[in-house]
Amino acid sequence: MGQPASADGISRTSAQETPEALVVLAAASLQDVLPVVARAWREVTGVPVRFSFAATSVLAPQIFRGAPADVFISADEVWMQWLEERGGVDGSSVRPVATNQLVFVVPTGTADPPGDPRSLAGADLAQIALAAEDTPAGRYARAALERVGAWTAVEPRVIRGGSVRGTLEWVARGESDGGIVYRTDALAEERVTVAFAFEGDDDPVPTYPGAVTARTEQPEAAGAFLDFVSGAEAMALFAASGFGPADDGTGVAQVPSLASPALDPWSAVRLSLIVALSAVLLGLVPAVAVGWLLARRDFPGKSFVSMIVMAPLVVPPVVTGFLLLTVLGRESALGGLLAAMGLPIPFTLLGATLAALVVGFPLYVMAIRAVFDTVDRRFEEVSWTLGVPKLPTFRRISLPLALPGIAAGAVLAFARSLGEFGATVVLAGNMEGQTRTIALAVYSLLESPSGQGATWTLVIASVMLSLVALLGFERLTRWQRRRIEDHHGGR
Amino acid sequence: MVDGKGARVDAEGSPVGGWAWGLHARVRVPLDAIDLDVDWRPGSDHVAILGPSGSGKSTLLRALAGLEPRAEGRVSLGDEIWLDSDAGVNMPTWERRVGWVPQDTLLFPHLSLRENLAYAGSSPAEVEKMAESLFLSDLLDRRPRFLSGGERQRVALGRALLSAPRVLLLDEPFSALDRPLRSEVAAMVRAFARDNGTPIVLVSHDEHDAELLADERWMLVAGNLTADGA
Repeated sequence: MGQPASADGISRTSAQETPEALVVLAAASLQDVLPVVARAWREVTGVPVRFSFAATSVLAPQIFRGAPADVFISADEVWMQWLEERGGVDGSSVRPVATNQLVFVVPTGTADPPGDPRSLAGADLAQIALAAEDTPAGRYARAALERVGAWTAVEPRVIRGGSVRGTLEWVARGESDGGIVYRTDALAEERVTVAFAFEGDDDPVPTYPGAVTARTEQPEAAGAFLDFVSGAEAMALFAASGFGPADDGTGVAQVPSLASPALDPWSAVRLSLIVALSAVLLGLVPAVAVGWLLARRDFPGKSFVSMIVMAPLVVPPVVTGFLLLTVLGRESALGGLLAAMGLPIPFTLLGATLAALVVGFPLYVMAIRAVFDTVDRRFEEVSWTLGVPKLPTFRRISLPLALPGIAAGAVLAFARSLGEFGATVVLAGNMEGQTRTIALAVYSLLESPSGQGATWTLVIASVMLSLVALLGFERLTRWQRRRIEDHHGGR
Repeated sequence: MVDGKGARVDAEGSPVGGWAWGLHARVRVPLDAIDLDVDWRPGSDHVAILGPSGSGKSTLLRALAGLEPRAEGRVSLGDEIWLDSDAGVNMPTWERRVGWVPQDTLLFPHLSLRENLAYAGSSPAEVEKMAESLFLSDLLDRRPRFLSGGERQRVALGRALLSAPRVLLLDEPFSALDRPLRSEVAAMVRAFARDNGTPIVLVSHDEHDAELLADERWMLVAGNLTADGA
């Protein structure tokens, strides 16, 4: 950190030797451009800026709960309004900082892409990716399609992701034939091509409002920063990144209303149970096989196998989902084969199940391996001497002796599957009634300012299910211990 | 032709006739503390191997049963070759049909006594009869964990006898039985061996057990097996 000599009038409130840094909480889509703007600002004023970038829906509640921030820049006027109503920001300081534009993107190289919004209704696109309906981008996209009367025709083909960036990634990978994202995101990704922009007079113009927070201890500096960010110099920097000018008032449409997302909590609970149960059943035989192998056999590459199996435990689930999408996406050999067999993975219940399975598998295997480690293998030897070969011995001795432990592993994997979020949202999306499990539904509700009340049903269901699962795990583990203690007890 | 230990052998030194069973074990098992290295050709149907603990007695039984993957050498019963590491022969345990009674019984904890006894496929009548001769009839529906040590040993013995063994490998089978019961059970095992022509290899550190069951004694000390009078 340098020691800039702060001289001009702007920073008079922080005229110490080292001006105190401004803390700016800003929407994730600004994370490439805002630091550039902040550098220019610091050259002028000497005041450093620290950023925290996240989804607007994450930042607004953080500020409401007292995060030590000086400036908030939202991707969405609704969240800004939400915060203003709750006294989180100084209402008089709210102003637009920049605008963005919705564009329709297709994978680069797509022949004959649709040329305008209306043509989407008839276009030969199997899948169209949109951001989750409770994110600003998702709502803007729907509003734009409704405006041209294409929504009804498009809706059955819509696949819903989480964030805009995730939506973009699906199009970039060719998992989706097209999608609606922000221009700024599209420009930064060479695997997609902009087919057309929603630039009609009535089209919504995504606007980024900024405000000084109510709790800031340096309101002047914060206000000055906002002035700078919405000023001419910053506007040029924004424009270089594809953003539009802040004062483009002509097309600012009403942000589509935030009618709480059509979200049936019980559908999410049911879906979670289906996904977790299928994951556990699908994983049973592999988990027993791998657990047994790791406990009972030495073979070349054993530690490698163990590492691969355990990896999802420590790798961020989002990364796991990304890797799964790479291996199982439509563009991959395996994914293509599965899709041809009528078993497409991305955006399907099967995909959600697989994501849950892969993330829960380490716990599954670990529990089963531990059980086979503790079951005295001489029981198996006795069985052999009684004329019973290996496989029947496994069935008659090893398996029943390990049964409670295997069940405990299954319950643990079940519980983990219930909570799975990161890998699922990347691989399977966030689609009501298809892949929106409890965790995804809670996330969607939290994204929406009006959804917070309905969240409780799901939160309670989620906590209850998890506790019941853990209770089951505890009892099964105890049963297992009794089962093996049998033979040690009598001597 | 008669070899150094009084057994009849043919020109190559293989046993003929007179031996009821013709076990020949020439095995080496590298162990942590010692190497078990024996060249053994017992002369009687019922033999006891005595020796201090840690001398390799249990390992020898396990090697005969085919449970020691490290065992090398040659083991044969009659004209059947169980192990010949030079020729790459290693008959799996379940084909050797040894009646192994391990020292700590290893009753299957998830099965009742009845199910333990019937494990090798015996009929309910056979199980009942065996239980009766081992004084276990009242306990048949219990799980092993509700049994005393002596009861467990009798179940383990019965389970082995019911598997139609071609040789009994008994590892301290009576250690938890009191003296009178020990004699009775030993007599029952001898009767079984006589009726079925089953040879017995008893491993023990107890001279008394050897007297009850065996006609011939060997001493195993630090992995070396030697004939011991008798």
